Amino acid sequence: MQPSDEELYRLMRKGNQDAFAQLYERREPALYRFALHMSGSQAVAEEVSHEVFVQLMGPATRFDETRGSLESFLYGIARNLIRVVRRLGPVLEPVDRPIYHDILGELIGNETTAALHRTLREMPERYRDVIVLCDLEERSYEDVARLIGRPVGTVRSRLHRARALLSAKLKRLNALSEVVTR
Amino acid sequence: MTCSEWTMELVECARQQTTPDRELRVHLSICAHCSERWDREQQLTAHFRAMRMQAALQSRNSQRESLMRDFARIHRRKAVPSWVWALGAAAALLLAVFLGHEAGKRNSKAVSPAVRVHGEPVLYEASLDASALSSDDFIAVPYTPPLAPGEMVRVVHADLYPEALASMGVEVDPAWAGDLPADVVVGEDGLPRAVRIAENAQF
Repeated sequence: MQPSDEELYRLMRKGNQDAFAQLYERREPALYRFALHMSGSQAVAEEVSHEVFVQLMGPATRFDETRGSLESFLYGIARNLIRVVRRLGPVLEPVDRPIYHDILGELIGNETTAALHRTLREMPERYRDVIVLCDLEERSYEDVARLIGRPVGTVRSRLHRARALLSAKLKRLNALSEVVTR
Repeated sequence: MTCSEWTMELVECARQQTTPDRELRVHLSICAHCSERWDREQQLTAHFRAMRMQAALQSRNSQRESLMRDFARIHRRKAVPSWVWALGAAAALLLAVFLGHEAGKRNSKAVSPAVRVHGEPVLYEASLDASALSSDDFIAVPYTPPLAPGEMVRVVHADLYPEALASMGVEVDPAWAGDLPADVVVGEDGLPRAVRIAENAQF
């Protein structure tokens, strides 16, 4: 049986590097994708997913098992970091990557998907959170409720509201593409 | 069921990519609004799938190694457990006690090196300088400050090692071995001024 995140964390705090590596490999990819979808920037996503673990191993970490899971703690750090980055304004990607900010939008190629991704990035955080976690990360409502510390009903209603906003955007985009193709 | 309630259901079907049940299918066939929404929800799901795939295909700089290095560095520094610090403190304390003891021994040697004192010292008022003491079989200890007029001196009966005499600057006969019973004239400052080897000393 695999050790839980919390068990790995306890070992990690005692200086067990293998436990830290295991925790990193288990949680970092999803945190990276979460940060990527939330920010739309590869540089930000890399920085955030790195910083989450730097903070985790730092002396000031205040993780308390009785207050929630380690995973939701990690997502909490990531969300705070992304909030700080967004407050600071657009991020310049490194010059060796000829990509500015909306890396996914540009890479996707599909204009509609890119436009939806841009819309997603501009949505209020409470809607972005649930779209990214439920629909892009394919987590269950229960998981997301635990990760963002909200009831399942709230997650569900936020998701439906967020999808309605995106659906409306999609309707406009569809209408626009019909006009263009005519 | 209202359209709003059907919408909840169709959104879930679109998210999970499942076929709507018969009742929902019937509703979709008669409600243009819900039917249109159903199409868009399916499109949304497809767009999300594309976003997921693109995110998964992202190549990126792994920072794993630098993190692991940082972790090792932090924990190497932290790896010194508290008992090691306690042990270090105890060792430092022992060293300080030892050095203090050594220093004390050195200071006491300056006054009366390797001396075993017998009986109460006898007090005399100095009327003679150190060189005068030598006239009464006392050997003046060289390089000591002269006694001040009226300064009280003590005559201490002691067993002296020849090395103690030597350290006072007194010439020592190499034939002398073992302790030498002697009277030592000690000034008020604690410094020996003169030494007299007892007559019954056995060399």
